[in-house]
Amino acid sequence: MPEHSGSGPSLFRQIARRLVVFTLIFALLDIFIVIATYARHPESLTQELLTLEAERIAPLADPASADPAPGTRNWSARLVGPRADGDATLIDWTRRDRIDGGYRISGMRPVGDDTASHWLLIRFDTVGMRPFVPVILDELVEHVALPLVPLSALLLLFNVISVRRVLAPLQRAEAEVDSLAPDNMAMRLTVPGEPREVDTLVRAVNRALARLETAIVTLRDFTANAAHELRTPLAIMQLSLERLPDGAIKADLQADTDQMTRLVGQMLDLAQADALVVADPVPVDLAALGRAVVTQLSPGAFAAGRELRFVDQGGAIIQGHAEAIFRLYRNLVDNALAHAPGTTPIDVTAGPGPQMSVRDHGPGIAAADLPHLFERFWRKDRSGTGGAGLGLGIVRRLVDAHGGSITVESPAGGGALFRVRFPAA
Amino acid sequence: MRLLLVEDNARLAALVRDGLSAQGFVVDWAASLAGAEAALAGSTYDLLLLDLGLPDGDGLALLRSVRQRRDRTPILVLTARGGLDDRVCGLDAGADDYLVKPFQIPELAARCRALLRRPGAVLGTSLGCGNVALDTATRAVTVAGAPVDASPREVGVLEALLRRSGHVVAKAALENALYTLDADVTANALEAAVSRLRKRLAAGDADVTIRTVHGVGYALLAPAAADRAHA
Repeated sequence: MPEHSGSGPSLFRQIARRLVVFTLIFALLDIFIVIATYARHPESLTQELLTLEAERIAPLADPASADPAPGTRNWSARLVGPRADGDATLIDWTRRDRIDGGYRISGMRPVGDDTASHWLLIRFDTVGMRPFVPVILDELVEHVALPLVPLSALLLLFNVISVRRVLAPLQRAEAEVDSLAPDNMAMRLTVPGEPREVDTLVRAVNRALARLETAIVTLRDFTANAAHELRTPLAIMQLSLERLPDGAIKADLQADTDQMTRLVGQMLDLAQADALVVADPVPVDLAALGRAVVTQLSPGAFAAGRELRFVDQGGAIIQGHAEAIFRLYRNLVDNALAHAPGTTPIDVTAGPGPQMSVRDHGPGIAAADLPHLFERFWRKDRSGTGGAGLGLGIVRRLVDAHGGSITVESPAGGGALFRVRFPAA
Repeated sequence: MRLLLVEDNARLAALVRDGLSAQGFVVDWAASLAGAEAALAGSTYDLLLLDLGLPDGDGLALLRSVRQRRDRTPILVLTARGGLDDRVCGLDAGADDYLVKPFQIPELAARCRALLRRPGAVLGTSLGCGNVALDTATRAVTVAGAPVDASPREVGVLEALLRRSGHVVAKAALENALYTLDADVTANALEAAVSRLRKRLAAGDADVTIRTVHGVGYALLAPAAADRAHA
């Protein structure tokens, strides 16, 4: 199953986070610059403070009754007559005089509009920096926050849009990569053309896929060819053994040859199963195939004193590849014959509906073995049954190729029951 | 019964030839497509045993050319190929049967007999298994040499089982054997015939067994297999 949730943060979150950090650093830098500037020019800080104070108390009916600014002493303010146009006796001014432990600040500011303006005389003593805090905050809002916040928001929006646009081809590529499997290695990702970074990545992935496909096909062909080449010598061995006089040695050699034959057959089956793509499914009658498998495997079962039984439960028509389904059945029955002991019978069924099952009356399957059951070359005990542990791997692959599912059940009365369900025809 | 074996591996060909000769067949051997064509031009064969992977081409090509000549000689394909679609390809091209290597001579011989149109004609008219024998011409059944009475239906069933002894014969195939004798066959006629046949064989001390393969058909087992089955 493909993992859709990546473990790392998304590109969008990365960009957002970096942008926020970047903005914060800029803001801090700005704040530092503002503070440093005022520290070097205390008189402009004083001017700003007086202007702010005048703005604060101007709307009041009686400026003198206003609360003193925090951190000041001897705070006083009074209106000094209306201002007439051209009256040059009164002007803006600001004074800062050193006093014990701080500064005495005084100054005149115009208040009100142009027509009925008054002058406001403000005076107070400051100790430390506390009165200047509002000034600095004001400056920060005006010179740092106001330009930076909208700019950052715009940048973020722009980034989101462009990241979305860049990621769209990546998401397409992801979906395509997810559908890759050893049985459709011929597939390639769609080359997006732009953005160039994604385009080059997709092209590189496609080149890697081409190399992988070559490797997989080579391996598969090698397995199939090796198995094919082994069959003629095996046939010669079998027929030559037939001509030996009967005896223990002959029987042993025949058993060895049979085991090798089975292994070669399974290797070939597996290579072919891996290459199987059910491209043009045809109606397949599971009952007919079940009977054919029982017919084919019965002579061997008789020789071992065993019995195969078939039951048609009806309606078992599916869409698929007949020969592949035949092998699916055959491998399940082979597996049952290999793992159920003595002379217990094997029950093969088709139906009801689009499913088939093979049941043995052996010891059943231990829960601990269930996860490994369909692994290739896995055997419960290496000394065991002469199988290579490929049968159920072949079964799993053939079931997958048909879009079916396989389950293992422990039916009442013991044994193991393998059930394969196919999509309805 | 003359067979033409087309197989490029000389050692395998010699083994098959010896094995089939011991079963009463006469086997000619060709090691290539060209050799096979020459042999087919020179004489008539009752059966063709054809390997697909030949040094000078694909056996399927020979298969097609034989069929294009309207030659209905039965063809049994012998091959190391066991691909998922090979069986279908071989049968589509006109092969009558298909046997994947490695195989055993008794199996090959049984398949050959099944393909021959008149199996009794040259191989002698007697079919046998264990101490049971059937003369296909006179329809006489003997167990250990002693004649056994059996109805035409039972003989028909026995013949079908003897031809494929050791193998499962489908109910449908056995019922066909009954229908050819008698158009009016009831649903359980086959079961009844098999049951009576078993009784007759047992009464005559036959050493063969007729096994029921539940849901599929019946199989006639030779003594060794039957003994093990009861062990």
